[in-house]
Formats: sequence, structure tokens, C-alpha cells
Amino acid sequence: MNEAIKVADELEFLDASKVSIGRNAFEELVVQLPDGTIHTKVEPVRSFPVSETTRYISLLDNEGNELGIVEDVKKLTPNSRDVLTEELQKRYFMPKITKINSLDGQFGVTTWNVETSQGDVEFGIRTRYDIVTLESGRVLIKDADGNRYEIENYNKLDPKSIALLQTQM
Amino acid sequence: MHGPMSSSGRGRSHRMGSFNGKPRRKKGNNELTTKEEVPELLQKQAQGLLEKGEEIKIAVSTDLRFDSTYGKDWLLVTDKRLIAFNQSGVLGHDIREVSLTSVEDIEILEMYGNNILKVTTSENAFELARYSKRLTPKFNLAVSELEKLSALKDADSGDGGRGRGGPGAGGRRRGRRGNGGNGTQPGGDKSRCEKCGEPIPSWSGVCVNCVKKSKLIFRLFKYAVPFLHVIIPAFLLMLLIRFVAVLPPILSKELIDNILMPVGTAVSTNQALPETSWGQLQGIADTLGGWFGSMPLGGSFGHLIAIIFMMVGLRVFTMGTSSIRGYMMAWVGQNVTRRLQNETYEHLNALSIDFFHERDTGNLMSRITHDVSRLRDFVANGLQDIVGDTFTILFMCTFMFSYHWKLALWTLIPIPCLIIFTIFFGKKMSKVYHVLWKRYANISTILASTIPGVRVVKAFAREQYEISRFSDLTHQVFTGEMNAAKLGTLYRPMMEFITYSGSIIIWLVGGWQIFQGDLTLGILFMFQSYMMQFFRPVYTLCQMNERFIRAGTSAERVFEILDTPPSVADKRDAVALANIRGAIEFKDVYFSYDSEKDALNGVSFQVQPGEMIGLVGHSGAGKSTLINLITRFYDPNEGTIEIDGHNSKEIRLKALRQQVGVVLQDPFLFAGTIAENIGYSKPGASRHEIIASAKAANAHDFIIKFPDGYDTMVGERGARVSGGERQRISIARAILKNPRILILDEATSSVDTETESKIQEALERLVQGRTVFAIAHRLSTLKYADRLIVLKEGEVDEMGTHEELIAKDGTYASLCQKQTELSKIRAW
Repeated sequence: MNEAIKVADELEFLDASKVSIGRNAFEELVVQLPDGTIHTKVEPVRSFPVSETTRYISLLDNEGNELGIVEDVKKLTPNSRDVLTEELQKRYFMPKITKINSLDGQFGVTTWNVETSQGDVEFGIRTRYDIVTLESGRVLIKDADGNRYEIENYNKLDPKSIALLQTQM
Repeated sequence: MHGPMSSSGRGRSHRMGSFNGKPRRKKGNNELTTKEEVPELLQKQAQGLLEKGEEIKIAVSTDLRFDSTYGKDWLLVTDKRLIAFNQSGVLGHDIREVSLTSVEDIEILEMYGNNILKVTTSENAFELARYSKRLTPKFNLAVSELEKLSALKDADSGDGGRGRGGPGAGGRRRGRRGNGGNGTQPGGDKSRCEKCGEPIPSWSGVCVNCVKKSKLIFRLFKYAVPFLHVIIPAFLLMLLIRFVAVLPPILSKELIDNILMPVGTAVSTNQALPETSWGQLQGIADTLGGWFGSMPLGGSFGHLIAIIFMMVGLRVFTMGTSSIRGYMMAWVGQNVTRRLQNETYEHLNALSIDFFHERDTGNLMSRITHDVSRLRDFVANGLQDIVGDTFTILFMCTFMFSYHWKLALWTLIPIPCLIIFTIFFGKKMSKVYHVLWKRYANISTILASTIPGVRVVKAFAREQYEISRFSDLTHQVFTGEMNAAKLGTLYRPMMEFITYSGSIIIWLVGGWQIFQGDLTLGILFMFQSYMMQFFRPVYTLCQMNERFIRAGTSAERVFEILDTPPSVADKRDAVALANIRGAIEFKDVYFSYDSEKDALNGVSFQVQPGEMIGLVGHSGAGKSTLINLITRFYDPNEGTIEIDGHNSKEIRLKALRQQVGVVLQDPFLFAGTIAENIGYSKPGASRHEIIASAKAANAHDFIIKFPDGYDTMVGERGARVSGGERQRISIARAILKNPRILILDEATSSVDTETESKIQEALERLVQGRTVFAIAHRLSTLKYADRLIVLKEGEVDEMGTHEELIAKDGTYASLCQKQTELSKIRAW
């Protein structure tokens, strides 16, 4: 009888110290893998965009095939890390809401006027299902146009914001 | 009386029409005996056939004759022979006799709605007794005794009488022989009550006739016991409120008799204002003397103001205490609800699959939500209302009788009318509303089926048909509502008239009494106020019975869940098999879902650890049943399943299921993220493991293409995930669990070829080193199987490798050939 596979052993991450990530003149990512092959126009993708932003970054080549997974951005060489972090910040834009100024609801559409880490903004939400509350108190919001916002922990907002937010949950 | 009977399960055998036209059964009729009292006439006839010293060992009566009429025939067995009496004509009997030694096989032909006992000798066969399904237990017992007598069992135990030979003409060969002959169903529940012999509704599992509603309600109050520290004060508060609420008419009486009347007379006759007294309130006035003494107005007007203040005070007091009490009882009610709901849900999770198969989801959901809140209402309000209203009436009567007993007697005259009318209308109304409720339910049913099925409706252009169906139903609701309106609009005026007639009587009799100088105006006024207050408590008390019945029914529905034991449960000494190797052996396994039709008919096979078994057969051949038995969703009726040499019934369910993984045809994803769905099989799985299993299941590539990756919400209202993707997520779930026994139930049947090949690839990884059972209609899916088991009508038809079975040129070979032909056609 042969032993059943151990699942976790099946997955090999890229050896982060041997990966180098840079940028070429066309602002494209260029990745050199541990096996020495060089790939241009590489897309980094977060496996867990919501729950794990700096770990399990999948690198896709220009055809969408996975080159490998970087287990932790921190394990990369400083240069590569900076390039990757910068690229990820560009690809994933999710301002953190720090204060809710007002909520105006009519016919199911709510207009939010909020202060975020990236500045003040106003947006509309079409259904309450676009507001997802996680157990940790984190709130994820998708507006009518597909933009993303988050509240890191709604219990830590000011009382007025909490009161406003609770009308939406 | 027991409304929910109508929601009972779909035709279990015992509910079929076997007893139509039969007089009501005597109680205790279904006692299990195979030695019945034989009628004298038959006994005499039988004696004539017997040798000396021969004794009747078994005597059983049937309830059906061979001419398909209900009636009693007899089967007698001695140690030498079988004698069957079959009535022919009015009194005469056909007597057939079979010598025991010549009997080669005894079988029970299980047919539609009735069974036949058939005996085969070397030369011919006799159908000796025909009986309805109700007597199955008795005849099963009779047959096993018969087998002992004829010593047939020994000769047969090799592999004879049972499974082999296929179905007999017109009926199935005996599949299930009740264990020792008590009418156990596969689920372990009895089909008839042991006490009264009445059928037990399958939804209930307990005999409705033998369950007392009062007992149920008593049991309900157990849930209130932990909150007695709030309930008792609330109850006392309620008594206080009820008492205070009947006081204002007394105040008005004092106001009229002691202040207004003397003052009015004095003013109209231009006399000085009389010295008014507190009347019977003097005591209270004395205690509060300090306050009133300092009143600025003094004199009669001061008294007026004081009494008005007292009236306001009483009202404010009642309001305040009522809201406090209301809050207390709401707290109790919500706590009871929560406890009941949690307990019910917890038990629901412990119940076995068959429970859920017999009931529809909506029904169970409404029990946990609707019925429980009805119970809360009853516990929190119902009973206290009943007690409170009784006290209100008592208080009022006490005051009325103590002030003027003659007028009180007159006043009470219309009350019996009030009671009779309320009960009468109440009954009518509940009937009308019951019908109405069913009609509304029909509307929901039609909406629930046509809205999801709108594609079918449109594709076949049946919109008009559906519209007219719907319109018929709304018309029915309309007529029902109008019936209710007819009663409702009649009811209120009638009640008001009765109350009004009461006050007319008071005017009449009271007026006359005033003429007699026997009554004061104040008391008359007080009686009028009480008359107006009488209506509500009387009405509530008249509804009491209905309230009890409703609460009782709801309690039954909730407690049924709590009382149903899981049909597949751990034995006390069950072993927690920590590491299953995966050897599985079926030993002559019989199983039937409904005791009517056998799903498995004596299946035996052996599987080595790590072997992959393909299960092949037409739909209904028993493939899924086989799997249900391995996962122990059900237990076999007869025979055993051994896992690593342990009887599966002796293995702890949790231990077993932790090591069995299932990938179903239409996998179910919970509302949650993809990561949560994959991790469902292994609490606390790391992200690393989740990605690894998704990779192994060929799911990783499509998952990271979602903008939210593994954090994508799926399930209802979540992202759209195609069938193949769902399939791969569920495979990832199974891989993560790392089960020792893996079951693939049509895991790839509903996906396109490319996805299938991806899934196949994933499955290939998954099956290594495990015992695998794979069901597939597409035989190509089973190319990796070590062995194939071909099932046919619940029996193992063929077994072997692909090559062996092809060489054998049997069922499998012909199935293969058909599929190859099909795939040629599809190959474009």
C-alpha cells in the first residue's frame, strides 16, 4: 500500500532569493526565474487580494500561465521586492475608509460620502450585498462602478460613522 | 384533530390502500403471534388430515384471498405438513396440503400492495397465502419458524434461496426478511403504533393518538423553567395590573354617587353645596390625608379633583407596569425561542440522511422558524393571558356581586350567548382560514416551481397555461377570502349586539331598581362600564382551546425533530478507527429504502486497500445506494459491511466520515469565499494547503483569474462559477481532506470534454494510494479503475478488470459497445 499524497508537499513555491523582478523601458515587469529563464510582461496576481496582500503572489506570463508563486514578498531581494510592491499597489487600489461623512439612500441606491486614506470621495452602492462584513470587523465595499473600498475595523471608526454604517448592514 | 397528518410522508407502504373497505381494526390486533386461534370448523377439517400425535405448530390467518377480496384465509403448519385453507364459495374451503419434507424452497413474493407466500417442491409450486403488506411482519416470522421446522435453512444457507435466480414471475423474490419479524423500517421506525395499532404518520415517528397534547405543552414549559426568576415576577405584576385595571369604574361610581349627584341636586335646587364624603374611599383618603388636606380647593370640588387624579394615577400605573412586564416577557420569549431553535438545529444536524429525504426543506425550515415562534408566543403570552383574563372576569364579578348581586345576575345573562357565539364563530373561522391558508400555499408552490422553471415554460410556449393556472388559484383565494369576510363582517356586529343587549338589560333592570330606590346611579354606571369590559377576556378565553391546539401542534412538529433518533447512530462501544487502511468487504448486503422495493439484493464483494473500483450499471441499479452504505448515510437491513475487518456499524461515525471523501455530481458550495469552501473539509487548513489542493485539483489557474482570487465570494449571490469550476473546487476540498476512502459519484458527468480531461487529471492525482469507488456513466472515465463492478437490479452482475469483462462479453461488454457507437456519433 503506497501512502496517499501529502497535499502541502505537492506545492512548491518559487525560491524567492533566486527570483529577480525588474522593469524594462516599456514599464513591463521582467522576471528571471531560478531556472534562469527570463519572462517579460509578467503580471503579478494576489491569490488572496482581500485577506493576504503580501503573500502568495502568483506570477503570470503574458499568456496567463502561472510561472510560479512567491510565498512572501518579504523573502525577495530588496530590489525585486520594491518593484513587485509598487506594481501590486498599482494593480490593487483599495482605499481605506477612515470616516463616513454622510449616507444618503433612496430606492436602494446609497450614496456614500467618505474620507479615505487616499482622500475624500463620494460613491454609490447598488445593493447591500456589495458590502461584505468579515468576522474581524473588516468591511469590504464594492461601488456601483466596480471600485473597491475597505474599512479595516469598523468598531474603530468614530461613533457617528459606526451608527451610519450599521444602517447599511 | 391532528391537522399536520396531511403533511405526512409520501406513500410508505403501510399507508397504501390495503385496508380500504375493511372495518376498523380492533385495538391490539397487530400483536405478533404465529399461533392464532383457528376457527372450530377449520380445526375439525384439519384434524381429519393429520396423523396421530401430529400437532399444529403454526397457524396464521391472512387478510386477503386469492380472488382479491378482503377476508381471512388460513395457513396451518404441523411438523409434517403445510395446510392452506382458501375460502371458495360462501362457506367451503379449498384445502391444499404440502408435505414438509417435499418443500424445497419457501419464498415471499413481494408485490405491489400485497405479498404471496409461495412454496416450491421438486415437482410443482403452491401459492399458499396472500396477504396485505400489513401482515408482512407476521408472515416473515411465520416463514422463519417454518424454515426451522423444515430444516430448510441448513440445506439452504450455502447460497440457495436468496439472491440468486433473479426476480420470480410477477414479483420480487424475498429480499428483506424482517429481523426476527418485527416490522422495522430501514430507518428503524415502526410503521404502526404498538399500543393502538394505528398507522404512525411517517413525519412524526410517534403515534399521534397516543401522544397527549397536554403532555407536549407541559414539556414545552420545561423550556421556560430556567427563566422562572423573571416569569414569576412578571406573572405577579400581571395579576396586579389586571386588578388595577378593574378599579376605575369603582372610582367613577364614587364620583357620581358621593360628589356629582349630591352636588347636582343641590345646585339645581339652589341649596348650599352639601358636605360630600369620601364614601367607601374614606380609608384611602385618610392615609393620603396629608396630600389632600393641603389641596387649595377643598370641599366638594377638591374631592372631584382628587378622584380624577386617582383615575389618572391608576391609568399611568397600569401603563408603566404593563410596559415593564411586556419587556420582561419579551426577554423570556426570545430566550425560549433561542434555546428551542438552537436545540432543534443541533439535533437536525445529528439526524441521518433518511430523515431529510422524507421531508421537504420548506417544511423543516418552517418548523424551526414559524413553529418555534408560535411556541414562544404561547409560552410568553398565551398562558399568562388565559390566567389573566380569568382573573379579570373574577375581579369584575366579585365587585359586581358585592355591590349589587341582583343586577349582577341580570348582567351576566348575555354572557353565555357571548361564549356560544364566540366558540361557534371561532370554529367556522378557523375552518375557513385553514382552507384559505392552503390556497395561499398553493400560490407559493406554483410560483416556486414556475419562476425557476421559466426557461421550460417559455421554451414550450406554455405561458398562457401557467397564467390560467395561476388565475384559477387567485380565484380560489378570492372566494376563500370572501367567505372569511362574510363571517368576519357578520361576527363583529353580532358580538357588539350581544354586548349592547347586556347594557340594555342594565338600563332596564337597573332603571327599575332605581325606581325602587334599590340602586344608585353610580352603581348603574359602574355596571355599564364592566359590561363593556367583559367582551375582550371572554373572547380570549373562548379562543383558549384553539390556542392550545395550535401550540400543541407546533410543539409536536418541533419535538418530532428532537425526538427522532438518528437512524444511523454510534453504538456505545463503537471503535474510533483512527487510521483506516481502506479494505472494504460487503457480505451479503440487503438494503431497501422503503421496504417495498429492494435497492440492494444480496451484494457481496471485497476491495483491497488502495484499489480503485468502478461502479457500472443502469440508473437504479444500486450504485448510489452502495455508496450511501459505505458512507453510512444508511445502514444495511441485512448483511454486513466490513471496513478493515470491522463491521461498519461498530465504527464511530465521526471517525469514518473523517476518512471518507466524496465528490458529487453537482457539488454544493456554501456562501463564502472559495478559500473557505475548499477549507471546509479541514478546519484550520493553512493557505498553503488550500493553494496546494486547488493546484492538485486543477483549480488554481481559474481561481487566480478572478479579481478576488481565493477571496472570491461564491454560493448564492456570489460570483458565477461554472459547473466544471464548482466540480474542481469540490475536488480540491476532497484532496485537502486527504481521505482514506474516496467516492467519486459522477464527478465528471456534467462538464465539457476539455474540462473533463482537466478534472480527470486532477482525479488521477487524487486517487493514488486510496481506496476509490467511482461511479460513471461514461465508461471512459473509469479507465484507471483496477476493477469494475457491474450492478444490475441491486445485484452484482459482473466483476473484474476491463479486459476480463470485455472478454466475458456480458453486460459490461455490451454497455461498452453501445457507448463506443454513441461516441462515434458525438465525435464531431
